[in-house]
Amino acid sequence: MANTVIAQGITIEGELTSEEDVVIQGTLRGKLVSKDTVNVESGAIVEADIAASSLSVGGHITGNVTASDRVDLMPGGRLIGDVKASRLTIADGASFKGNVDMDV
Amino acid sequence: MADVTVVGQGIFLRGSIRGEGDVEIRGRIEGDIEVGGEVTIADGALVKADVTARRIVVRGAVAGNLTGEDGVRLEQGARVVGDLRGATIGVAEGALVRGTVQTGNAPAERGRARTAAAREAKPAARAAEPRKPVPAPAAAAKGNGLPRRPAAIAQEERTGPPPPVVPALKKGARAALRKRSR
Repeated sequence: MANTVIAQGITIEGELTSEEDVVIQGTLRGKLVSKDTVNVESGAIVEADIAASSLSVGGHITGNVTASDRVDLMPGGRLIGDVKASRLTIADGASFKGNVDMDV
Repeated sequence: MADVTVVGQGIFLRGSIRGEGDVEIRGRIEGDIEVGGEVTIADGALVKADVTARRIVVRGAVAGNLTGEDGVRLEQGARVVGDLRGATIGVAEGALVRGTVQTGNAPAERGRARTAAAREAKPAARAAEPRKPVPAPAAAAKGNGLPRRPAAIAQEERTGPPPPVVPALKKGARAALRKRSR
């Protein structure tokens, strides 16, 4: 099955709507709505609000994040923005600045 | 070390894609694409954008101009409404195209390389012509353009022929694309 990958040298600006998993290794500016998981890998830079079923943050995200399932901030990951998810993990080494609402 | 960027089948992007690296599009895109690598538009993709890349290979539907520095190739199943521009242009049997076709160097170098391009364009155009499937409306536009072009190029200035703006044609094209994609 095709997996959507935004590779490292690529910058996407705009609104991205997805029905499937998204892996971001490059730069995304705008808005991302996914019905499935979003994986922001180390080295990725995202300046966008993200809505997903679950989100894994290994890179830099500036924007509000809403997940229907869970949000995981990995070591080295950095999130500046609000999180709205029923489950949240912030690993040792992750950086986070924002509000958390788990009452989803 | 850039991997291939894949815009999967369930994706709809409204915006631009820029950067270095190769891009494979299987979903829907509205906007514009400008990358330094190779762009492959897979079967089932719907691209409503101008695409500028080093090389473009099309198997899906595109409404927009394709500019491939090293070349543009339309494979069978490709449906393109837009202008093709590249060093070499290939249109496989079964591909549908409506727009102008121009081989030769990129506009930036066109002044200097004009005579060289004219020499290249002449055999390339003649060789490509019999292979291309020629849909009726496009034939009229291309038929007028092709034999005249090599001679006219040497005398023409850097600005190429103006793109044909035919509202009726555009409307029909969209309906035809929709019909064919069903």
